[in-house]
Amino acid sequence: MAHGHDDGHAKGGGHGHEASSGGDPLRKQTFLESLYLPEIAKGLVHTLKHVFKKSFTVDYDGTEKSNEKKNHIPRAGYRGEHYLKKDDAGHVKCVACFMCAAACPSECIHIEGAATPADWKDRERYPKRFEIDMLRCIYCGMCEEACPVDAIALSPTYNVVSNTREEKVYNRDRLLADGVHYGLSLSRHHYRPDGVPGATPASHAHH
Amino acid sequence: MNTIAFLWLPDEIAVKLVPVAIVFGGLLGIVPFLVFLERKVCAFIQDRDGPSRVGLFGPDSPFEMLGINTGKRRWFGGFLQSLPDAVKLITKEAFVPEGADRLLFALGPFFALMPPLLAFIVMPVGPDFELFGQNIKLQVADLNVGILWVLGVASLSAYGLAFGGWASNNKFALLGGVRAMAQMVSYEIGMGIVLLSVIMMHQSVSLREMVNHQAASDCTCNWGIWHQPLAFILFTICAFAENNRLPFDLAECEAELVGGYHTEYNSMHFGMYFQGEYIAILSMGAMIAALFLGGWHYPGYNWLIAGTALDSNWRIFAALLGLASFGFKAFSFVIFSMWVRWSLPRFRWDQLMRIGWKGIVPLALANLLLTAYLNLPAQPKIEKEAAKPAPVAIR
Repeated sequence: MAHGHDDGHAKGGGHGHEASSGGDPLRKQTFLESLYLPEIAKGLVHTLKHVFKKSFTVDYDGTEKSNEKKNHIPRAGYRGEHYLKKDDAGHVKCVACFMCAAACPSECIHIEGAATPADWKDRERYPKRFEIDMLRCIYCGMCEEACPVDAIALSPTYNVVSNTREEKVYNRDRLLADGVHYGLSLSRHHYRPDGVPGATPASHAHH
Repeated sequence: MNTIAFLWLPDEIAVKLVPVAIVFGGLLGIVPFLVFLERKVCAFIQDRDGPSRVGLFGPDSPFEMLGINTGKRRWFGGFLQSLPDAVKLITKEAFVPEGADRLLFALGPFFALMPPLLAFIVMPVGPDFELFGQNIKLQVADLNVGILWVLGVASLSAYGLAFGGWASNNKFALLGGVRAMAQMVSYEIGMGIVLLSVIMMHQSVSLREMVNHQAASDCTCNWGIWHQPLAFILFTICAFAENNRLPFDLAECEAELVGGYHTEYNSMHFGMYFQGEYIAILSMGAMIAALFLGGWHYPGYNWLIAGTALDSNWRIFAALLGLASFGFKAFSFVIFSMWVRWSLPRFRWDQLMRIGWKGIVPLALANLLLTAYLNLPAQPKIEKEAAKPAPVAIR
């Protein structure tokens, strides 16, 4: 049980926590424990050991050079900037149902729906305007959860900068272009730990 | 008559301004370094690098821009990180929330920053020495009530937190301020009783005399820590509580109170609270050094002085070594308090009060009685010896 807590330290080596207390967390404190000081000393020794451990920090300066070891590619399931998906006919998948806008806790999604052109046989509405204010967004992923047609998803992109506030309001075409960038059929499940290999973030890092 | 002619002040006052400027300027100037140190200690304990970019080493340093790989950024990178932080704090808009008590709101940071600075003026940071025929005391003011001054001034800093909490017109800030007050008052009592036993041992309340007592022997066996070990431990605990440092930082616990008493503060108002906090740690470190760790004394000082009694250069060297020794002791406490901060969770409020009232106060009282018992038995013995010959004389 003591080793179960140490999974986060892959490089740190298996150091068991030296806590003498095993088992029942509800048992009464012993006299020595109620003095706090011996236990505090134990804790201090533990943190002192960490000072001499290898650092986990990745020296990232935004360039490909510092990315050589692929150390700062987000984990599977990371929630970065959004993208919109297209269906097999190349149309935007979104049906302008406003579910994402309703689910959004920071109200950063603005949609204007319209009737679909005559040649879109599979649905009646599509988003004429679809804007996400990335400065308001808190990247919670609720829009992705709410979408009934799996049209919006969060990509692993985290390092996009802009010079003005206006630039951070992404419109429909930009979101769709990002969707193309990540591959047409890429669904959010590909970013989960049980995802399909080959669709990992590493594959589009050099796109 | 007025040879220095500084601001048309009389000479004796103008001369006094020099140590004042050194102490205040030095303390305020050391804060950015302490902040950097805190961030590095935190980072190392958490297996990170901490600030590593701004400074002579690191990816954005001038050396790296010239193509020289400096390496070692884990230890020395980011040395100047506090500089842009300070610029940011100073240039930010000073915002006062609606409904705030503007006067108390402005006074709060002032009361947080001034007391620890004032506490420092009675610290004897080094031994006396002669320079240009003048006896130089490494102490701004040699008050004969040194400890009482420190205690009195330190209790003023509770007002800084209370004012900040009250004036912000914010319930979280108010709760933080109330907690800070209750905590500081509780632990001041324990601290006062602990100090009583130290005063009793030295038969003096002057910090200068206390340090001179401790410096009497070269083997450090006069240091307060050997004579008052329990008082040392209790005082250290109280020092953590007085400074609102973890594990006693209930006044500003982020999880429940956002930021506690300084929730509504920003820009340099917040900066002053920040400075006050770090200077308070340093002045507590100085206090512990002076009371328990021999002040400026270091093993070999008396030998050095005795061997070079007439050579004033050597005396200056010995004095500066004493200054370094004092700084080392005070800094050790600062580092220790950072180490503790990043190792421990905070206590619950009931635990805090139980430790203060049921732990420290009774133990301090017991220590006081023990000190009294150990320090006073000389008197009755003398009376008995004096009483014995009397009957002989009658016979």
